[in-house]
Amino acid sequence: MPVDVAAGMASFDAWDEMVTGVGQLRGHWQRFFSAHGPFAPELMERRWQSARGLLFRNGVTCTVYGSGDPPTGTERPWLLDPIPLVISSEEWRQIAAGVTQRAALAAAVLEDLHGPRRLIAEEVLPPAVVHANPGFLRPCHGIRQQPRLLLFAADLVRGGDGAWRVLANRAQSPTGMGYALENRAALGQIMADAFRNLPVAGLAPFFETIRTAIERLAPQASGGDGRPYAVLLSPGPLNEAAFEHASLARHLGLTLVEGGDLIVRGQAVHLKTLSGLQRVDVILRRVDDDFCDPLELRPDSELGVPGLLEVMRAGGVAVTNSLGAGLIDSVALASFMPALCQRLLGEPLLLPDVATLWAGDADHRRMLLGSLREFVVRPAFSAADSRGIVAADLSAEELDRLATAITADPVSHAAQLMLRPSTAPSWIDGRVEPRPVTLRAFACLGQNGWTVMAGGLGRVSADARHPVVSLQDAAGSKDVWIINEMVRWSPRQRPPTVPPWPPRRTRGLVHEASDLHSRAAEHLFWVGRYAERADVLARTLRAVADRIADDERPGVYEELQPLLRVLGWMGGVPTMIVWASQADPLGAARQALHAAFDPFNPGGLPAAIAHLHRASAGLRNSLAPDLDGILRQLQGIVARVPAVGNIGEQSLCLDDAATALAGMIGLEQDGMPRGPGWHFLVLGRRLERAVGVAATIRGSGLVEGNSFDPATVDVLLELAAAGSRGHVGIAAADPAADRGSQAIERLLADADHPRSLLFVLESIRSLLSALPHVAGPGRTGPIDAAIDVVGGLAKEFRTAPMPVDPAELQFLVARLDRLLPGISENVTEAYFAHVHAQRA
Amino acid sequence: MSMPNVPDMPAVVPARYRCQHSTRYEYEQTVVGSHLLAHLSPRPRPGQAGRLTRLGIQPQPAVVIDRLDWFGNPVHYAAIEEPHSILSVDVEMEVEVAIAGVACPERTPTWETIRATSPHSVEVADFLPRSTRVDTPQVMLAAYAQSSFQEGTPVAVGGLDLMRRIHADFAFDPQATTVSTPVAEVFGNRRGVCQDFAHLMIGMLRSIGLPARYVSGYIRTEPPGNGDWRGAESSHAWVQAWCGQGDGWLDLDPTNAVTIGSDHITLAWGRDYDDVSPLRGVILGGGRHLLHVGVRVDRIGPA
Repeated sequence: MPVDVAAGMASFDAWDEMVTGVGQLRGHWQRFFSAHGPFAPELMERRWQSARGLLFRNGVTCTVYGSGDPPTGTERPWLLDPIPLVISSEEWRQIAAGVTQRAALAAAVLEDLHGPRRLIAEEVLPPAVVHANPGFLRPCHGIRQQPRLLLFAADLVRGGDGAWRVLANRAQSPTGMGYALENRAALGQIMADAFRNLPVAGLAPFFETIRTAIERLAPQASGGDGRPYAVLLSPGPLNEAAFEHASLARHLGLTLVEGGDLIVRGQAVHLKTLSGLQRVDVILRRVDDDFCDPLELRPDSELGVPGLLEVMRAGGVAVTNSLGAGLIDSVALASFMPALCQRLLGEPLLLPDVATLWAGDADHRRMLLGSLREFVVRPAFSAADSRGIVAADLSAEELDRLATAITADPVSHAAQLMLRPSTAPSWIDGRVEPRPVTLRAFACLGQNGWTVMAGGLGRVSADARHPVVSLQDAAGSKDVWIINEMVRWSPRQRPPTVPPWPPRRTRGLVHEASDLHSRAAEHLFWVGRYAERADVLARTLRAVADRIADDERPGVYEELQPLLRVLGWMGGVPTMIVWASQADPLGAARQALHAAFDPFNPGGLPAAIAHLHRASAGLRNSLAPDLDGILRQLQGIVARVPAVGNIGEQSLCLDDAATALAGMIGLEQDGMPRGPGWHFLVLGRRLERAVGVAATIRGSGLVEGNSFDPATVDVLLELAAAGSRGHVGIAAADPAADRGSQAIERLLADADHPRSLLFVLESIRSLLSALPHVAGPGRTGPIDAAIDVVGGLAKEFRTAPMPVDPAELQFLVARLDRLLPGISENVTEAYFAHVHAQRA
Repeated sequence: MSMPNVPDMPAVVPARYRCQHSTRYEYEQTVVGSHLLAHLSPRPRPGQAGRLTRLGIQPQPAVVIDRLDWFGNPVHYAAIEEPHSILSVDVEMEVEVAIAGVACPERTPTWETIRATSPHSVEVADFLPRSTRVDTPQVMLAAYAQSSFQEGTPVAVGGLDLMRRIHADFAFDPQATTVSTPVAEVFGNRRGVCQDFAHLMIGMLRSIGLPARYVSGYIRTEPPGNGDWRGAESSHAWVQAWCGQGDGWLDLDPTNAVTIGSDHITLAWGRDYDDVSPLRGVILGGGRHLLHVGVRVDRIGPA
């Protein structure tokens, strides 16, 4: 096979996007500057900061995989360079034609390899390129879904000769279009002036094309509105592109689901919702194809839907890109592109690949081993990512070992010629620098053939020699502006920058009742629990911090002791510290704050907020922007924690947290329809609040028979008043004993006080009663049982005298310890255990 | 059933069998749904014909689909949609078998010829690369295999020799391995069961560039003459080695050091166990489970 290695090598010097070799500004950049003005440092820095702030506010993140066991993901803010990658429309026409052809070619290759396989019979492809490829999914052969390919992406780099080349083909998960959209939204806002004055092509039409293309795939229309019901299948919030999955689902009007939300019944795929099963017509998948059905593909996958393939065979659901599409991503295939194009499309390839050799071919192997140092060696059958071996970096010994490995198993090795990507001006550490860029272009199969997004995702490399390929490795991203040098338009004619929001099925904070799927309900329940836990912790810690700051006041030491005991019973600080509080209350209090702020303390405040964040991550698609904003604010507060040293800063942190959490309660009460979603959220809160009351009673020491000392009473009242300072509400002149029993009553049986146990229990009872009914035939369901138990206890409080002596209180706390987890389990059994979800 | 006329070999006496294969899962907790994929029908091949006489699944599946898989094996898909805590799959089949095998091993092409031509052949393309269960193209496997394949050795002669050496060097020991023991470990410990030996031999053949595939089936319970068959009364597995277009695939049973004639019943073949496991399933819920499997192969007379 002929490979144009020489052409690639001759052009090793980098091309610059903005200036020519003799330092002259290129035409489309002149146009850009005329609208934008020069790169003034202060202005650019301000824009860089605004872009960061805007993307942060919009929750745009990229998850970076950690190497822990189990693997963890950390969310990293998405970085956007305030200088766009500018491309002239003339040049773009050529790129777009090349990407269009490539998408059509990829579709034709998939069609052949999953059907007649003429490419192998006619020896266009050696059998091993397909049959040795783990991406060749044999069970998918013969699935007739049309078209197999709906979305396609290509990573492009420009070599020193000025020609764009393809670095990677992406049909498995053409990730990045959601990020491109966010970049455009942010830059369109912070560079509104330049934008108004430049004819930059808009992105909206492309997303409209996708939306209609997805609907066209549907084999039937099962949506309540007579339209197809389509979902976006995501691996979940730990995936690197989780943000994009949520964002795309929102823009395309799809329900965001995970494999566990879907079930195959009667030759159809269904979404499990609280009100029963909703048939799914189209699945836009972001789960790799071999993970999609553990029955016939990877048996260890927990991300897929058992039985999916059989439904696809029967034509009951359309999955896009179809299963098996990942084959296109293989590096090995790149070296055959010219021949494939000629054979399948009958025309020459417009956009060449970066020179690629597949070691399974004897000639290629010889060429590769002859000039190994010029290449980046990659696994032949996976997508090109940033983990290739750069032969030029190896010692002589390592190079030998690589050559031996290639010779021993040539079929599994491929190599791409090292290519220095073109540079573009980028805003780095306060100044403009030329940095290597790659461009990801996107294509969608519309009604009239393939269309390419007029723009794309630009990425900036940290390292000049390595073009960026995977999302995780980019030092930053760029919006891509296609500027038409010929057109001059008035601002009035401008099409919208980003597509308008489609009509959403959501109202208020979360999905409509009927649409709420079981997992969303479960997440809401846990959001409620962790929000309340964070709230109680923050308020109690604030009470501690106030006293440390005011340690001269008489009674502070005595008040600290019960406070620390409450924190101990809540699990917020280690018991050791609570014990130490008898000898040295102030020292113990400082330690307690330290421990409560420790991110590694599983009962601490950062952990509670992290759990809250995780539970809400699964809801991203359906949370209102304001609530999302509060959650991010809390994240920000936690992020500040390592820097928090003195008591003043700690207090400030706790104030901020308490305010944010109070804001969340406000939104829940005032901004959310009372559907099942709301009920689950508030139920979680109430259960956690009851747990807090039990801890408070324990921490008061009254169950051990301690007398009602004034300090304890003050603490109890303060906690009963939600930790708000000074609003105790019971006259301080009362004798201590009376105030003591009043405090207990306030805590337990004050039906008008939202933090009393009675109020909480009655609230739990009415919330449970309002949930969708799930009693099994002929027996009492778990929810009925829970309602009975809670109702019984509440009734006791209303009618029986207050328990005041230690034994009675002890008995009460013991009952709560049994009752509260029991309710949580009953709710889980009734609604969240996905085994129950096929109730229909 | 018409048998190919093979003058060079003693004619294989056809035999007729009834095979029963029952599988029973008992779950700790209720399972609310199961999806099953079964390779439990006799695969039609020259020298073997048969049919499934019973496919009993309890509880009653809501959906059953029969089709052929990528390798041409009959496969049954079943979806059970009612809650259950016991799942049973009972299969009965009648099979006539008399596999002629390779007529004359000495006249098969040299192994070097097979190695040189195989990469270009679509027919064997699936069976040359590594696969999920046979994924270690190890130098030591190649070194072991190589002494059976000297320069110019006819491929079938080498295959037979390799089969006998594995049988001699490796101990049959059901305690030594589980269904997921890697090939490298079997090779290191020198012990295992039929599935392990099949994977091991496939790995060895592929490591020197010879296509090999995995066969799932049964072996008759009572062997002719004295001695025991290994692998009877359960699922059995063996190997097919590619001997070129003229001679096709040669069945080699390294567990018993025999080629196959009328004592082996073929269910399915593929790259390795994962392609053809007799019963594969995904359940929703269920916790831990107990598994009982029983296989009976009764000879019900000559064909």
